[in-house]
This record gives sequence, structure tokens and C-alpha cells, in this order.
Amino acid sequence: MATLRLDGLKKTYPNGFVALHGLDLTIDDGELLVVVGPSGCGKSTLLRMLAGLEDITEGSLYIGEKRVNELEPVERDIAMVFQNYALYPHMSVAGNMEYALKNRGIPKEERRRKVEETARLIGLQDLLDRRPRQLSGGQRQRVAMGRAIVREPQVFLFDEPLSNLDAKLRVQMRLEIRRLQKRLGVTAVYVTHDQVEAMTLADRLIVMNEGRIEQLGTPMTLYEQPASTFVAGFIGSPAMNFLNANADGDTLTLPCGSQLTSPVDVHGDITLGIRPEHLVPVEESPQALTVQVELVEPLGADTLAYATLAGQTEPLVVRFDGVRRLNEGDRLWLAPDRERLHVFDPDHGHRLTTTETSTTS
Amino acid sequence: MATFQRHRFTPWILLAPQLAIIAIFFFWPAAQAIVQAFYIEDPFGLGREFVGFENFSRVLTSGEYLRAMGVTALFSATVALGAMGLALLLAVQADRVIHGASGYKTLLIWPYAVAPAVAGVLWMFMFDPNLGLLSAGLESLGIGWNHRVNGGQAMLLVILASIWKQMSYNFVFFLAGLQSIPKSLLEAAAIDGAGPWRRFWTITFPLLSPTTFFLLVMNSVYVFFETFGTIDATTGGGPGGATRTLVYKVYEDGFEGYDLGLSAAQSVILLVLVGLLTLLQFRYIERKVQY
Amino acid sequence: MRYRRPGLDITSHTLLILCVIVFFLPVWMAIVAATHTQSSLYTGTAPLWFGSEGLGNFLAVLSDPVSRLGTDATRLLLNSTIMALGIAVGKITIAILAAYAIVFFRFPMRMLCFWAIFITLMLPVEVRIMPTYKVVADLGMLNSYSGLILPLIASATATFLFRQFYLTVPPELLEAARVDGAGPWRFLRDILLPLSKTNIAALFVIMFLYGWNQYLWPLLITTESDYMTVVISLKRMLTSADNLVPWHTVTATTLLAMLPPIIVIVLMQRYFVKGLVDTEK
Repeated sequence: MATLRLDGLKKTYPNGFVALHGLDLTIDDGELLVVVGPSGCGKSTLLRMLAGLEDITEGSLYIGEKRVNELEPVERDIAMVFQNYALYPHMSVAGNMEYALKNRGIPKEERRRKVEETARLIGLQDLLDRRPRQLSGGQRQRVAMGRAIVREPQVFLFDEPLSNLDAKLRVQMRLEIRRLQKRLGVTAVYVTHDQVEAMTLADRLIVMNEGRIEQLGTPMTLYEQPASTFVAGFIGSPAMNFLNANADGDTLTLPCGSQLTSPVDVHGDITLGIRPEHLVPVEESPQALTVQVELVEPLGADTLAYATLAGQTEPLVVRFDGVRRLNEGDRLWLAPDRERLHVFDPDHGHRLTTTETSTTS
Repeated sequence: MATFQRHRFTPWILLAPQLAIIAIFFFWPAAQAIVQAFYIEDPFGLGREFVGFENFSRVLTSGEYLRAMGVTALFSATVALGAMGLALLLAVQADRVIHGASGYKTLLIWPYAVAPAVAGVLWMFMFDPNLGLLSAGLESLGIGWNHRVNGGQAMLLVILASIWKQMSYNFVFFLAGLQSIPKSLLEAAAIDGAGPWRRFWTITFPLLSPTTFFLLVMNSVYVFFETFGTIDATTGGGPGGATRTLVYKVYEDGFEGYDLGLSAAQSVILLVLVGLLTLLQFRYIERKVQY
Repeated sequence: MRYRRPGLDITSHTLLILCVIVFFLPVWMAIVAATHTQSSLYTGTAPLWFGSEGLGNFLAVLSDPVSRLGTDATRLLLNSTIMALGIAVGKITIAILAAYAIVFFRFPMRMLCFWAIFITLMLPVEVRIMPTYKVVADLGMLNSYSGLILPLIASATATFLFRQFYLTVPPELLEAARVDGAGPWRFLRDILLPLSKTNIAALFVIMFLYGWNQYLWPLLITTESDYMTVVISLKRMLTSADNLVPWHTVTATTLLAMLPPIIVIVLMQRYFVKGLVDTEK
């Protein structure tokens, strides 16, 4: 078990494209760190650099106290679970799991013992003689996990391991990965583009964008205090609403004329962020946002309403309790929760706090 | 593509046998062929003289060579079209019947395994002027057959033998091509009111065009080179050069006429022809890989 | 969906069966002729039914030296087998290695090697026949198995096919193997070769047929009957006849020359068709 330290880790491809702009990061022993971001943000490159499958252009990577930049994947003592599992199609489940042990020269008896132990742990004991193509998607996923676990590595690397599974299985495997990782106490880095997966699995979470870390923190920190509109839009579903507004001290004026109390003291044009679940329906009042419901999506537990608000181009998404009956065309008055308003710089998208003032005034 | 990066010598060890073989048996002779094409060597191998493009002009102005070109063109076109047309016809039938497509495949595939020379001998027996089954049949129709004398008949013999051998190869490809066409497309066309004939020409045939093109190239190569055995075993290029193709002439001039410069110049011309053909095919295959 | 028209189906079957018969006819005629004596053949048109000799002609060509060849068909078949196996095994072996280097490694001059190898696709041995003959003669390899085999290995068809196949191997497999501690040789032995089994089988069939059916090259370099192959012996038998072609022995030898490749193709049809269609397209 080990800590993982990234010191100015940078990746430049031969064609000059910079995939990672110098990352500094420490991943604690036994921690599960999730890296999330849209495709092309550099998250897979990062993982492959940790694995030793991509060269590191600049900076250093430490596993424990050892600098591992120049080491082959196998020498780094890591294990990786691939998106398409990368199981060896001609080997049995047991063969897949023991291949790494075999390459390490571990005697046959010990190999078999370890494979059986791991198989029991993840419920593969009856499938050890099967070939990968005789297995279901979920079972293949388990074999890929088993192949990683049986080696007792210092670090687990997961590259979108659940994205080939159907929705139900994904939830189930998500729980299982979490349970196993905690039980084994192995440091893990988990890459995904799915924010629900990210939120539910992570001890800490990184949102990446264009080769940079947008924000690092616990899932709830990122949800409650997103550092930028990018993070705010990425974490939480449905995504946060962004409104144009003008701030003058602690008063925010929206183009529709409504006035809200600002959580921060800023002046000038700002982007106001309100999560769909933080808009509360109220009686008609001049402070409330007056909206007209355009479309209703009843989800059972919740009901989502897409509503137009004067002066905004995008419809406002509002989440209601599932018991509330809504009709298209209804007029509603919504009062946002002051403590849960987010104020962002309209140009750069970063979060504004009281000490800062908006760049445009 | 993932690769092994930190191994400097391993790839060279892996490549060594292939590179050695092609250096000795390909590049060295090929270079010699090109050099030789510009020299005239005396028949006893005592000396040679640089003559520039004289060998080429000798080749290209020789009536015999132009005749060989004509023979090759006629022979290639007939064999390629015959072998492909027949194969397509049969493949469409085999694709249509519900039962037995794979059985027919087995029953039709085996001539591919027969050597071109052997195919020639089999058909030569069928057409033997003394006791051939087909020549006797023709005789009873009033058509005298002797391919040892009649140039046109000799040509027909090698054409038939070549089509007989090559058809199976084309059949396998056409059948695979037909079977890979999504049935839903034909269903959609049927719903749109296209009859079987129309469906074939507007849906099936265009979708088969990659296969057809590939086969056209492969058949050309086959006709150019592999039919040497058929021709040599049956007619020996005769009678009177009626079945003397370009490759046959290279062989004759080199090994029977000992005119090395002339033979080499012909090799170079063939090289250019085949080069163009292969380039076409290579580009085609490269394009396919990207799918 | 097919319009099920029984009439059309019967037409299709008829056409196919007719063609199967026509295709088989020359072989039937040869089989029948091989069971006759020279004199019973030359009594009119070739017979349609078996003669009195049974397998006698086959046994004769297999055991006694064929006229003017100075060797028997057993020896010819042995030579053909050695040549075909040598070409198949040799080509596949060097192709597996070379394609492996080109696809799975990055090294200086890689593209140069790539083109040097694949340009050989453009020139079959028939085109460069004279100078190749000279090289082989200079190396003292006329009338030898290595002379029969090596120059025909010098073409990249197999290398190209293996390259095509390797390109379809998911890159994650290599990465997984690297993470599992497999170096280049282990990856080749443990992962790539087992995965290539079907391709190797298919290519083996194709190359065996290619080798067995060679004509021009063995014709040139085997002046001694000890190294002659069965395919080229046919021409000698046809031309060496004084007047009438000895069809009873010629057909027997012809059938012997056809038999091994046909057995190979029918037995390995599954691999052969798959390999042919998958790799060449």
C-alpha cells in the first residue's frame, strides 16, 4: 500500500499537443481518488502515465518514496482494470488471473491458492475454467477485477471500468468496487466520465478540463462549493441553472426585474448559479422568480419542470417532489435559497467570493 | 497502437530473417534485372556493353512482343470476365437457396487447390485430338479440333482451363460478400417495390463492388503470372505464338533465346505494369483497414 | 426475407448441380482413364467407365521410374511435399516475426523496413525470373531444396496478412500484458501466437497450395530428376512421348499431383475460407 505523488506531471505529444499541463497531487494511502471530466480532458492520459503505458514528458511520479518515471508498468507494482477489460480471449478465467503471477515466477501451488482465494472474494469460484467469451458482461468485469486483485498491487488503476455495463449492473458493480477497495485498503485511482459514479465512489474527486485540474475535493465540497461554472455544470444532475444577473453589493437584479439577496458582496455583471433542487415554489410575491412551465418530466420520486424565465435564453430546470402535480403552461413563483446561490465571474467562470469583485463592472 | 518502446534490438532480431531473404532473393535480382535491361550481353557471357534504352526500343518495336501483348490482353480479359461472371452467377444461386450453400461451396472450392499446370493437363485430355471427349463431340458436330495446329483453339483451351481453376476462388469471395450484405437492406428494397432483378442490380451489385474490385485485381495477377504453368504444360506458347503471353515471352527470350538484355527489359516493363496494378490494390486494402 | 418461389429454387439448384458436374467432369475422365491400359484407351474416344487396370497404373508410376524421367512418382511427391511444407513453414515463420516487429515496435527506419518488405508484393518471381535464377546459380543452389524454397519465400504476402491481423488486436491486450509483466517475447508466445492460430492455419493452407502448385521456378532450377516436383514432371511426360501421349500414366500422375492439395483444402476448408476472406479483404 502506498501514497502516490505527482510532481509537476506534464504530457506533451510529439505533435506538440499538450495533454496535461503540469499536475501536482498527492493521493493518500488507501484513498480512492476519482478523476472525472469530459472526453479529451486528459484523464485517461493521466491514468496511463501512472500505469507506465505513456511516457512522462516532464515532472516526477512517486509511488511510495520511489520515483518511478522510468519504470516499466510491471515494475511499478500497479494493477489496471481496462474499459474493455482486455481479458486474454484464449485463456481461462484462472489463466487470466494467474498470468501476472506466472510471469513473476511464483510457483504453481501458490498461484492456484491465490487465484482461488481471490475468486472466492469476488464470487468467481464456479467460473474459473470458463473462457472470457462464455461469460456475461458483468462476469467479465469481475474477472478483470480479479486479475487486478490477485496480484496484491500497491495501486489500483481503473479506466472507466463500468462504462460497458448496463445501468443496473453498473450500480451493483459500483457498490462492489467501493466495498472491495475499502476492504483491501489499496490506494486507487478511478477514471470516469460519469458524474454519478464519481460522486458515489470517491473519497476525493478531481474534475479535469483541458489538461488541468479544475477542482479537487470531497464530492460534497465540489457539490456545495464548485470552484467554477465548469465544475458546477459537471457535478450534479440535472445540471445547475446559470442566469445572467447584475450585482450591486448584496442585491442581485435579474433581467426579468426580480431582485435577490446575494450571498457575496460583488458589483457588476455576474453569472448566477442555482441548482434545480434549490428552487422552492412560493406564493406570488415581487421577490420570487415568475416562470411558466414548458415541459414536465415526472420521474416518480421527483418531477422535473423546464420553465421559461423572462430575459434568459435557456429554460430553467426545477426539481419538485414527486407528489406535486404540474401541468404544462402553469405559472409558478420560485424563491431560491439565499445560502445556496452561487455567484461566478461571467467571463472566466470562476467562483466569486466576498473578497473578490467581478472583473466587469 | 500500443507498442513496446524500450526495446532497441528486439525488432531488428525479429526482422533479420525476412530482410536477409528479401535482400538476397529479391532486391539483388531486381536490381540486376534493372541494370541488365540497359546492357547487351554476348551469348557466351564474356562481356557486355551499355546500350541505354536500346533493349526497350527493341522490345517495344518488335512485332512478336506487340503480338504477345495482344494475346495477353485477350487472354486476361476473357479469363477474368469469364471466371468472375460465372462465379457471381453461381454465388447468387448458392446464396439464394436456403439449404446447401455450404455444401455447394465444398463441391465447388476444390479446383482452387489444383495447380494451373495440372488444370491444363486435365483439359488437354478432354480436348485430345485422338481420344478427347469434347473434341470427339465437336467432331460429330462437324467441327474439327486440333489445338496443336489451330491457334484459336489452343487459346480456347488455355482459357477454359484457366477459368475452370480460377472460378472457385471468385466463388468463395462472392458468396462471402453476398452473405455479408444485411438482409434488412433487401427487405427495405422489397418493401419499396423492387423486384428480384432490380434488387440485384440496385442493391446487391453496388454493395458487392469492393469484392468485385478486389477480385478484378487478383484475377489480373493470376492471369498474368500463374497461368504460365497452364500454357507451358499444354501449348508451350504455340502454335506459332498464338498463346504466347508476356510472361511466357520473358521466359522464352531469357532461357531459350539467351537474350538476357531483351528478357530483362521485358521484365522491367512487366514490373511497371504489375507495380501499377499492385499499387492500386494496396491503396484499396489500406483504405479498407481504416473501417 | 426472400421471395420464396419454388420454381426459382429449383432453377438455382439445377444450375449449381450442373456446374458441379461440369467442374467434376475432367477429373472423372482422368480417373477413368487412369484405370485403363494404353491400348484400351486408344480404341476410340476416351472411355466413360473404369477399365481393367484398377489401381495398377497408380502403383506403377509410384514404384517404377516413369519413362524418360528417371525417377518414380513417390520421389516426385516427396519433393513436392518438402517444397510445399518448406515454403509454408518458412514463409509463415519469418512473416510472423517481421510483422510483429513492424506493428508492435517503434524504432528508427521502421517505415523504410516496412516499404522494403512490402514492395516485394509488387514483383512475383515470374517477373524477376532471370536474375533470380542467376543469383541462385551463383550461390550453388540449383538442384537443391533450399534453392527450391528460399527464393519463393522472398515475398511479403504472408507478412502483409499478419500485419493486417495484428492491427486488429486490441491495443489494451498488449497494455494488459505489459502490466502483467510480459516482455516482447512472452507477449508473442503467450498472447499473440495463440490468438493467431486461425490465421496461421489459413495461411498454412494458402502457402502449402502455393508451394505445391509452383511451376516456373522448379522447372528452371531442377535439371536433375532427383529434385523434380510432381507438377513439372507432367510436362516432361507429355513431351517425352515418342508419338502417342501415354494418357493412362499421365492421368494417374495428374491425379496424384492433385490429391494432396485437394485433401488439404477440403479438410481445412473452414480455416481456408475464413482466412482467405478475412485477411485478403
